Amino acid sequence: MELVQMQKSLQDYTKSLFLDGVLDSQFLQLQQLQDESNPDFVSQVVTLFFQDSDRILNDLSLSLDQQVVDFKKVDPHVHQLKGSSSSIGAQRVKNACVVFRSFCEQQNVEGCHRCLQQVKKEYYLVKNRLETLFKLEQQIVASGGMIPAMELGF
Amino acid sequence: SMQLVLRFQTRPSVRRLMLAGKAPGLQHPNSNSILRGLIITLAYDDVNRTVTKRLLEKIGCEMPEMDGFEVAMKIRKFYEYHWPLIIALTASTEDHVRERCLQMGVNGMIQKPILLHVMDSELRRALQSASE
Repeated sequence: MELVQMQKSLQDYTKSLFLDGVLDSQFLQLQQLQDESNPDFVSQVVTLFFQDSDRILNDLSLSLDQQVVDFKKVDPHVHQLKGSSSSIGAQRVKNACVVFRSFCEQQNVEGCHRCLQQVKKEYYLVKNRLETLFKLEQQIVASGGMIPAMELGF
Repeated sequence: SMQLVLRFQTRPSVRRLMLAGKAPGLQHPNSNSILRGLIITLAYDDVNRTVTKRLLEKIGCEMPEMDGFEVAMKIRKFYEYHWPLIIALTASTEDHVRERCLQMGVNGMIQKPILLHVMDSELRRALQSASE
C-alpha cells in the first residue's frame, strides 16, 4: 500500500474513534505532548494505561466475587480507573466508571457486577482500537513516512 | 500512593526541573515570586504521574518565565475533565495568596516553613474535598 494511502487510512481510522466516542479531545491533548524529544510518548502512556487497567480490572473482579463485598475497596479502584481513562481520553471507559461509582455509592452489588462487565467491554474495545492505531502508525514509520498531524474539523 | 515533588524556579528558566521523591527541594532565598514555585502533585497512578510530569516539562520549556499560578492554570486547562490535585507551597504570608490559589483552582496551600503535621492535615483536607 502506498504511503499516502496508509496515512489517509490512519487519519480516517482515528477520526472514526472520535466520531464513535471511543476517544475524546483529551487524547488530542496527549498527542500534543509528543514531539521529537518524546516521540513515543502517547504509546508509552497508553501502555501504562493498559497495564494499570488490567491490574485494576482483575482486582475489581476479585473484590466483587467476595461473599461480602467491601465497597471501600471497590470504589477507589473504580475512581483510579476513571482518572486514568479520563487522562488518556478513553471516554466510554470513563463514562462507564462514572456509572459504576454511583452503584458503589448505593452499595448495589448486582449493579456493580453489571457495571464491571460494561467497563470491561469498553476497555477491551478501546484497547483493541488503540492497538490497531499504533500498528497503522508503525507501518507508516516503517515505510519511511511521517505520522500526519491530526486535524479534526469538529 | 505516590508523591511527585517538582521544583520550579521562576528565575532563571523553569528548564531546571528537579524531580524528587519526598524531599521538599532546595531553598532559593532570593526568589521574589509570591509562589516560590514549588508545586506538589499527588498522583496516585502511573498514567497521571507520567502525563502530568510531561505536561509540566512541556509548559516549562515553552514558558520559562511562568509563576506557580500560571502553571496551575495550564494544568487545569490540559485536564478538561479530571485534573490532578494541585497543592501550592509558598513562602508568602500575604492573605490574598490563599484566595488567589483557590481562584486558580489550586486545591490546597501549605506555607513555609513546612511543619510535617500541617502538611499532613492540609493534604488530607485537600484529598477529602476532592473525593466529595
